[in-house]
Amino acid sequence: MTWDISRRVFMRGAGLAALGVGFHPSSLLVRAAEAAGAGDEVLVSLFLRGGADGLNMVAPYGDPQYYSLRQTIGLGRPGQAGGLLRLDDTFGLHPSLAPLKPLFDEGRMGVLHAVGNYNLGRSHFDAQDFMETGTPGVKGTTSGWLDRGLADIPGRDITQGVAFSAQVPRSYIGGEPVLVAQSLTSFDFRARNWRDEAERLLHAMYDGNPSPVGKTGRETMAAVNVLLRTPEVNAAPANGAVYPNAFVGTSLRQAAGLIKARLGTRTIFVNVTGGFDTHANQIVANQNDYTNLGQALAAFDRDLGPLMDKVVVMVNTEFGRTAAENGSVGTDHGSGFAMLYLGGRVRGGRVHGRWPGLAKAQLYQERDLAVTTDFRDAFTEAAVRHLGVTDAAALFPGYAPESFPGVIA
Amino acid sequence: MSVSPFENGPRAQAAHLLNRIGFGPRPGDIGRVLAQGFDRFVESQVYPDADADVRSRLSGLQTLDYSTARVLELFNADNRTIGPIIDEFNSAKLIRAVHGTNQLQEVLVDFWFNHFNVNLNDGFVRYSLTSYERDAIRPFVLGKFRDLLSATAHHAAMMYYLDNYLSTGPRVVGGVTRLGLNENYGRELMELHTVGVDAGYTQQDVTEAARVLTGWGIDNTGRSGQFMFRLANHDRGAKSVFGLGIPAGGGQEEGDRLVDYLADHPATAQFISKRLVQRFVSDDPPAGLVGRCAATFQGTGGDIARVMLTIFGSREFWDPSVFGAKTKTPLEFVLSALRAVDAQVSRASSVTPVLTAMGMPLYQCIPPTGYTNVGVEWLNPSSHLARVNFAFDIAGGATLAGITTAPRSAAEGADFTSATSVATAVADELFGNRMSFESYEAASRVAAGGSVSMLTRALGLMLASPEFQAR
Repeated sequence: MTWDISRRVFMRGAGLAALGVGFHPSSLLVRAAEAAGAGDEVLVSLFLRGGADGLNMVAPYGDPQYYSLRQTIGLGRPGQAGGLLRLDDTFGLHPSLAPLKPLFDEGRMGVLHAVGNYNLGRSHFDAQDFMETGTPGVKGTTSGWLDRGLADIPGRDITQGVAFSAQVPRSYIGGEPVLVAQSLTSFDFRARNWRDEAERLLHAMYDGNPSPVGKTGRETMAAVNVLLRTPEVNAAPANGAVYPNAFVGTSLRQAAGLIKARLGTRTIFVNVTGGFDTHANQIVANQNDYTNLGQALAAFDRDLGPLMDKVVVMVNTEFGRTAAENGSVGTDHGSGFAMLYLGGRVRGGRVHGRWPGLAKAQLYQERDLAVTTDFRDAFTEAAVRHLGVTDAAALFPGYAPESFPGVIA
Repeated sequence: MSVSPFENGPRAQAAHLLNRIGFGPRPGDIGRVLAQGFDRFVESQVYPDADADVRSRLSGLQTLDYSTARVLELFNADNRTIGPIIDEFNSAKLIRAVHGTNQLQEVLVDFWFNHFNVNLNDGFVRYSLTSYERDAIRPFVLGKFRDLLSATAHHAAMMYYLDNYLSTGPRVVGGVTRLGLNENYGRELMELHTVGVDAGYTQQDVTEAARVLTGWGIDNTGRSGQFMFRLANHDRGAKSVFGLGIPAGGGQEEGDRLVDYLADHPATAQFISKRLVQRFVSDDPPAGLVGRCAATFQGTGGDIARVMLTIFGSREFWDPSVFGAKTKTPLEFVLSALRAVDAQVSRASSVTPVLTAMGMPLYQCIPPTGYTNVGVEWLNPSSHLARVNFAFDIAGGATLAGITTAPRSAAEGADFTSATSVATAVADELFGNRMSFESYEAASRVAAGGSVSMLTRALGLMLASPEFQAR
């Protein structure tokens, strides 16, 4: 049985002779080179887990209700010490995201506000599930939207889709091979003095095994091979870029390494956990998380330099938070949120979207920032305009965007 | 000996039972279980006696008995004392899981802690974690669900982790009415702990539940760290939560009524049963068994031991198609590997980084959903690589602080100069001979000679095999 470039063919032909494995790592690199020529745009998707509060991430200081809704956690006006960083007459950037302000001013960072979907619900688990599988309100969808996106673009090798995460993100569930890792450093077997024999016999065990474990084992071995031959993935950052010492920093540093190594990577997912679920003591939690996020994104932009023309970074979360603060100097689960974008094709320097306002009658259920852009429109725009996905209808079953938010040119 | 994927004889059945009721066989366990008989073995697990051996192994870990107040006292005097306290707490878990005779009890402590998850890294939880597992989880894992639920609801760690200690009714401050409600615990009490997200409750019910629970908090987080109810913080208005009506003017008893109401709710029987069947039988829990477990749950007032008997006596549990079909979580893999090499554990510090590398840092699950019980969700290349490397490490007798291993015992009676002999012995001792021809044959093809022993390589491969990643 040989390692077929199309995993779907491989899975269908699963009744196999167990012995006589023909694994040719060089063929993977050939395919990687083919893939790189066939379109090398990269979508980097950051998922902030926990429901990140868009109303303080990009705060509408110019909206008459902002400060009355948030008497304690409202951020200072632009110009005040420690206050918001002015993006325009209505919106300011959270001060801890300061490294992104110059990128915004230079037109390389943009915002889409009041994005989301009411059918996600306010349960973390359900909202993440519905968003990542791309079917709000419908349970049991067995593939993720990024898996469906990957299926539509050229490139089939193990580094085509990468996720920096402890587990496979739901966005990637499905037939496409995905390299999921917490870190790509030291990605090799620890079999001193018998490494080649270990690899050969592991192949014998895993290559014919039809179970989910078998599939993963084959991905592991493919990844080991590719990464061993591509040490530049872990090279030092370029242009003096300094990443923060947090998971989002180490992940984006390795993401930049993957992009620079030109292995044919098309989508990269970074699972950002932290203190975003700010039911209490929001001020401090946001400061910590946004400091790391801002530094990591700015370092990524600096590290890649001109390669950022081929990259779009999209930062989202599963839902926003209540417009008013709660009794614990925090906020509870809400609806509309803000997305951050970076990249050469991003129409930066602007806050996109249609602002619904924060008056009581304008809030969803009198509590949440309303949603005026469906997240599926934003995700589809990135997939179609940037990645080159042509079968847009397959991305979000049962939904066809009528328009794109216009964040990506 | 026949080795095939369809070997479902008594040894394979015993291996299956040991893999599900506990953390996997130690060398010799299959024989012992067969000698005892499955029925008597299951009975001894569901109604366990005290374990003197484990008690003796834990006797040196004095901080296990510390109250939260004692932990805080030590920490306040010297910040550095909390590290060793957490180390002992982690070590106790490992010692119990690797050495304990009462395996089901340890699996259930893990299951129920996960169900009522709190995060070690969340502020005050750090100081109250020892008490939380010892006082709110462990005593109730095979008892009545309502007691377990109530114990977690009355523990300061849960009040802190889900922010309920900050939640108050409306208060007038400086002439202005301030809303003090925090709905985090009210939501998760229903969504994650009892009836489940599909039970049909509304956002309104979540808010009302939170109102019921206002005033449930902590006396202080810096000295005693005990649960405390404050009437002054309680919203005394009338409430209606998911069908439970509560008249105005009440106090703490409202929350106790809500806890009882949710424990008794039919949706809870269904939700809990589904999670138990998912953990013990299949990632995709068979509906018939879930239904029968829910019926047992409801008919016995939530008796967890009786539900376990329903599971272990079911045809679904003993169906050969579920043998070896559930992927081990990183914790289950590491524990089963340590047991497989007859590990002697005194400290956990060398193992906790391994679990972190596999994506399952011990006691550090951030969201209240806890770690997933769906085995396949743990599979990914870097986690799998970490498993393979751990298997190679312990088969090779790598030095792990606080742990000694005896890899030879996994291949008891084998000719250690013959890879075939080693593979045959290991397949028999640890797998009950239920293993694919490919895996067995690969391990037996380890070449003679070389600087790495045949045992290390053949056993390492067996522990790294696809079959050992599942249970």
